[in-house]
Amino acid sequence: MAEVEETLKRIQNHKGVIGTMVVNAEGIPIRTTLDNSTTVQYAGLLHQLTMKAKSTVRDIDPQNDLTFLRIRSKKHEVMVAPEVPLIPCNRKCSSPL
Amino acid sequence: MPRPLSALPGSPNQARRMSTTRKVSLSVSKVSINHSKVSLSQSRTVLSRTTSGLTEGKEKVSLHHPRRHIQVFDELGNDVTPRPLFRPDPHFPGSRKPSRLLVSQDVSLGSDYAGSYTMFQNTLNPSLVGQFTRSALGSSTVSKSSASTTESMGEDLEESPYRREAVSIYVDLQLKKEVPKVLTKEELDAEVDIYLSETETLWLFNLPTVMHSIESEEAEKIKERNMLYETLCKNRAGNDLYVERVMQTFTGAPKHKEVQCDKILTEEKGIMSTTWTLYDAYNALEFPASTMKPETGKSESMLEVVRKDQDSKYLSTTDRTSENSSTIDVESIIMIKIHEEEEDRSELILKSEKFQQDLFFMERVLMENIFQPKLAAYRQLPILEGKEEEKKKEEEEEEEEEEEEEESYPQVEKVKQSEDDEDTEVTEEESVEAVEEPIPPNLERLWSFSCDLTKGHNVSSMAWNKANPDLLAVGYGQFGFREQKRGLACCWSLKNPLWPERVYPSLHGVTSVDFSIGSPNLLAVGFYNGTIAIYNVQNNNRVPVLDSSEFHQKHIGPIWQVQWVEQDRGTAGEEKREILVTVGADGRISKWVIQKGLICHDLMKLKRTSMDKQKKENEREKKSEALISRQAPGMCFAFHPRDTNIYLAGTEEGHIHKCSCSYNEQYLDTYKGHKGPVYRIAWNPFCYEVFLSCSADWGVNLWQQDDFKPYLSFYTTTHVIYDIAWSPKSSYIFAAANEHRVEIWDLHCSILDPIVVNIANPGVKFTTVLFAKNTDCILIGDSEGQVIVYELKNMPIHTESGREDAIDLLLGPEAHSI
Repeated sequence: MAEVEETLKRIQNHKGVIGTMVVNAEGIPIRTTLDNSTTVQYAGLLHQLTMKAKSTVRDIDPQNDLTFLRIRSKKHEVMVAPEVPLIPCNRKCSSPL
Repeated sequence: MPRPLSALPGSPNQARRMSTTRKVSLSVSKVSINHSKVSLSQSRTVLSRTTSGLTEGKEKVSLHHPRRHIQVFDELGNDVTPRPLFRPDPHFPGSRKPSRLLVSQDVSLGSDYAGSYTMFQNTLNPSLVGQFTRSALGSSTVSKSSASTTESMGEDLEESPYRREAVSIYVDLQLKKEVPKVLTKEELDAEVDIYLSETETLWLFNLPTVMHSIESEEAEKIKERNMLYETLCKNRAGNDLYVERVMQTFTGAPKHKEVQCDKILTEEKGIMSTTWTLYDAYNALEFPASTMKPETGKSESMLEVVRKDQDSKYLSTTDRTSENSSTIDVESIIMIKIHEEEEDRSELILKSEKFQQDLFFMERVLMENIFQPKLAAYRQLPILEGKEEEKKKEEEEEEEEEEEEEESYPQVEKVKQSEDDEDTEVTEEESVEAVEEPIPPNLERLWSFSCDLTKGHNVSSMAWNKANPDLLAVGYGQFGFREQKRGLACCWSLKNPLWPERVYPSLHGVTSVDFSIGSPNLLAVGFYNGTIAIYNVQNNNRVPVLDSSEFHQKHIGPIWQVQWVEQDRGTAGEEKREILVTVGADGRISKWVIQKGLICHDLMKLKRTSMDKQKKENEREKKSEALISRQAPGMCFAFHPRDTNIYLAGTEEGHIHKCSCSYNEQYLDTYKGHKGPVYRIAWNPFCYEVFLSCSADWGVNLWQQDDFKPYLSFYTTTHVIYDIAWSPKSSYIFAAANEHRVEIWDLHCSILDPIVVNIANPGVKFTTVLFAKNTDCILIGDSEGQVIVYELKNMPIHTESGREDAIDLLLGPEAHSI
């Protein structure tokens, strides 16, 4: 547990990282470093997108699975690490420059 | 006796007469009928007034129509009185006999209707058949039928008034009725002839008989049937089987009934069935061990995780229900749970391994993002051309940011060092600007492996993993006796330069590390207190797999080098067995074998030789020099690349001994050239005759195997040289790390000067140097716990690099001149 905390803290403190979030299976944020409205917005939107991406990957090959999702935009980059199914999905979102 | 009546309509007088004669006999019925008729007529017709006279006197039935019929005239005076629908048919066929009875009655009844009625009765006018079917039939069948029809006749008679009455409405009341003449007595007595004629036969039903020949096949059957039928007809009369009955179905009284049910709750639910949900379903059937935690209820507020010291295992077992992932619609089912459970579940999430792994990935991806250009340069991947300028800016920014980041660490030296590096190195921007000038070989700093943990430690040794070229083991420990403190062994990965993958803290300083060749997950660590430990880096366990601290054969002094060596057991015919060879300051070189634990054998005991020699040379008789130990502390060793039986050992005395594994008492040879402890010996990876040695006497010596004097010496600094390493790519290039500089020598270019010199900032010493195998990079460890990765740029390319005889060529003409 402590390692997890450490790693989380390290990632958060990394240069260029704006914020991190931990989200559970239904898209409810468990931990976040951003403000409430942003968190909720990101959680909701990314949840759907991740589900879609995972569904896509698995539709193509059911034995495959989504490991990571990165969205690069002009201003930011959003990185999402979904969990393997059969365990409540956690999602992290961080936006480095 | 009624006389035959003449039914001629034209003789109402006769009719009248008839009526009078018949009056007596049928008075009763007549009267009754008359009354009924007249009454009806009175009620029905306008001309009832005219018939009123009839009621009074029946003898004289005024057939004369008073002509008080309605006449309608229009405006113009035209006679537009509606005509009757029925026109009396002048044709009078048919028998009169049956009609006679009726006619007489009719005549007696009313003169008004007499003519018409007789006509009706007599004629079987097709137009009236429909209306008077019964009466007509009745009349017609009187003549033909049997007695049974008389009854019907009687019925007809009863009913006929009504019928007639019905007809009488349509009857044209303008029908001229001739006034019946008064019959004289003579006329009455005269005989009247009545002629009866038969009407036409109306066929209503004709079932012709079917004739069959007696000789036909079915004759017998037909005869039987005929017989049966005859008996049936005979029996019909009183037979119970044939009873005339009338049936009436009762229609039940309908009733309205209302029913009200509870409102049926409907809910829409949708599931999308995809390829993978099916796959999951089938897999789950096969592997029911996979469990899925039920979803938590939705909460609007963000949860602050409250740390609870609960048994998470207990919670997880009670909460787990095995559900099929394909049957769960994530958005649909919401179970309401208490707040605590949610928190616990989020705790579980945070504790789960998967989460850890995800974090791991996330961190690595971040690192990749940040260090991407550096890593690309390391791996010699081309940096994208299109974003050159942005890249440069990024790099500049990154470098600046790195500097800023490093400033966040309370390490002043780092910043200075990076600045220093930038000052001394030729940066890429400068190199791009000055394109035309030949760029000298230089080191470009890519990144450094460093973190909080390693800050302040001295890097004592580095080793690459044999299987995974991205994994680097670094040992942190102080060299000097007085500076001893806790040590550290870390495994760094190229993918995360900011945090080590594995951290193995220890009480004592780590002096040497090496990865195993045969089992690349084993890491051997030598400590300052003489123990060695073997860690398994596959898991994160900080406890070593094997530890030699309890061995009685362990080294007493610090272990200065550990190395895994694959040795041939040529004599025994077995495969190559891997042994761990260590050299300690107690003067022993020992090999360790992992067979149910560590087994230690001494390969060699390093004896002091210089003392003997000096004794011999200088003071033969002096025996008073007390030796603390007859062993010479060994500092390093190097096994021959080809022949693993032969190895070189460097001692603190400065001697290099060539030894063999077969002999553990005697040296094969001794190379004397250094005056200080030999810190490192390295065989040339291409040319097996040549080896390098560095020592604390500020110098690096190049030896040839057969020569006991150094072939080349490099004394360029006045500092201790801690480490040397040959470049894996070229047989001419080697690097040497002394306290303040790292020098890279290229023997092909110059044997007097290094081609690259990298100066450290004051306060930081370079202690170790290591070449990267597949790339042009060099790793330099310093006394501040940093391992900096430099890229060798613009190194001179030699066509003969790598050739074994290359250095022989170099050494050739001078090889034998000593």
